[in-house]
Amino acid sequence: MRNEIELEGIIEDYLNDKLSEAERTAFEQLRKNDPTVDHKVVAHKVFLESLGDYAQVLDLKAKMDRAHAEIDVETLSEELRPHPSYIVNLWRKNKAAIAVAASFILLTIVTVYSIQQNTKQIGNVELVSRELAKIKNSQSSLIRIMNSKTTANTPKNVKPANFGGTGFALTANGYLLTNLHVVDGADSVYVQDNKGDSYKAKVVRSDSQYDLAILKIIDKSFNPLSNLPYRLKQSGNGMGEIVYTLGFPKDDAVFGEGYISSRTGYNGDTTQYQVSIPVNPGNSGGPLLDHQGNIIGVISAKEKQVDGATFAIKSKYIQEALNSIPNDSLGKKVAFNKRNSLQGLSRNKQLEKIQDYVFMIKVYK
Amino acid sequence: MSNKLSSSVPTDREVVLGILNDSEDALNKLYTGYFPMVLQFILNNNGDEDDAKDVYQEGIIVLYNKIKGGNFELSSKLKTYIYSVCRRIWLKKLSQQSKKTSNISDFEDVMAVEVDVEQHEEKDKQFDKMQDALLHLGEPCKTIIQDFYINNLSMQDICEKFGYTNTDNAKTQKYKCLQRLKKLFFQV
Repeated sequence: MRNEIELEGIIEDYLNDKLSEAERTAFEQLRKNDPTVDHKVVAHKVFLESLGDYAQVLDLKAKMDRAHAEIDVETLSEELRPHPSYIVNLWRKNKAAIAVAASFILLTIVTVYSIQQNTKQIGNVELVSRELAKIKNSQSSLIRIMNSKTTANTPKNVKPANFGGTGFALTANGYLLTNLHVVDGADSVYVQDNKGDSYKAKVVRSDSQYDLAILKIIDKSFNPLSNLPYRLKQSGNGMGEIVYTLGFPKDDAVFGEGYISSRTGYNGDTTQYQVSIPVNPGNSGGPLLDHQGNIIGVISAKEKQVDGATFAIKSKYIQEALNSIPNDSLGKKVAFNKRNSLQGLSRNKQLEKIQDYVFMIKVYK
Repeated sequence: MSNKLSSSVPTDREVVLGILNDSEDALNKLYTGYFPMVLQFILNNNGDEDDAKDVYQEGIIVLYNKIKGGNFELSSKLKTYIYSVCRRIWLKKLSQQSKKTSNISDFEDVMAVEVDVEQHEEKDKQFDKMQDALLHLGEPCKTIIQDFYINNLSMQDICEKFGYTNTDNAKTQKYKCLQRLKKLFFQV
């Protein structure tokens, strides 16, 4: 036992090179002569190497664990973790491109939407003829259709109701202009002048395209008017121009003043102006005049949910409507005065002159 | 699938010299430098953070032994070497767990490292054997052996630590322990 321990001590020293030269030679001699000793040396060498490796790896692992503790593994793995779906990966890879595309689409939508907002007027248009029973929620583009529908659907046995509108003289001999929707489907039409005299009239021409109608006073008691004070202005009028109208929303003429707020009418209708002017049912068919007393349009409708959005048919289309009517059906060529006698007059003087030429239209259906 | 890893990485030369000189600082730099790369690989191939740690440490041991063994030539980038070794180790582990090893997502170049990994596996077996043997040895033998052979304490220190009356007793005790350990180690 003791010898064994000593032998092992010597083997260890031998393997660790701790023996003196003499001891070493002696031991190597012993190793040569005694195979069991040799075997022990070899085995011990292998064992010590394994133990050494073990110690080294253990040491290395300890060092690495210390290094590992320094690393913020959680954050790192969040960053490097595979992502659940293809979509997420796609998103990660193309973040920038997607962002650019998305903002472009968003911008486009916003732009297009705002343009639509600007061009499309949402809300209903009300025809400003004075009606008691008719529900006026038609839209501008539907005015004609709605009107014809309403008339078509109106049962024949319904008791005639009163409708009212405005008209103005086209000629001195009793031709008047008003909106078609005022007189559409009428059984009889009467016009009443400023002095309160009523005359029977008939619709001689209607133009559904521009919602215009031409009436002729057929009453024998009607005396031809003197020359018309106003004239039809052919050229267009600009935004902001001060305009006024005279109409019959009640039994007496009512003056209204405003300005052209847009060169197009409902939903961008180019045949109309949008005018900011207070009008009420009964103003339909009234003349729209500029400050010089030129007729620039015919009041026809207003937008229901928007304040001060009145629509007036441009004078150009009045002329077109007149031109499309064969001269012989009007009996005599409709011609406005070349001279405008209202020019330069103050507003109330103009009105004084005009009011004799503006009529209340009374319709019986 | 190529997230760039931005952590600072020491130069290959620094690492090799550092390991040859047993510099703990160099090891730290090496360890922190390449860990994200391996973590990314493992996480993207059915592993978790702990797997990454194990595999990476094994990979570093392989590199360490190779450099220490003196037969490490900088024929390729250290990064590629570490990545390839860790990849190889992880693929083996995956197939041992009979998980599928197709569709591996790669992030770096790969080089042939099979020989090194096999050598490492041999050594790793020895390590496990030694660990088992020490475990079965029990106290106080385990501590005595570790103190003497690993922590390089003198017989005198051990004698005092364990309260033996003289070094001869300690030596006898150590001898008995060593015999048992050898038996356990060579037997298993």
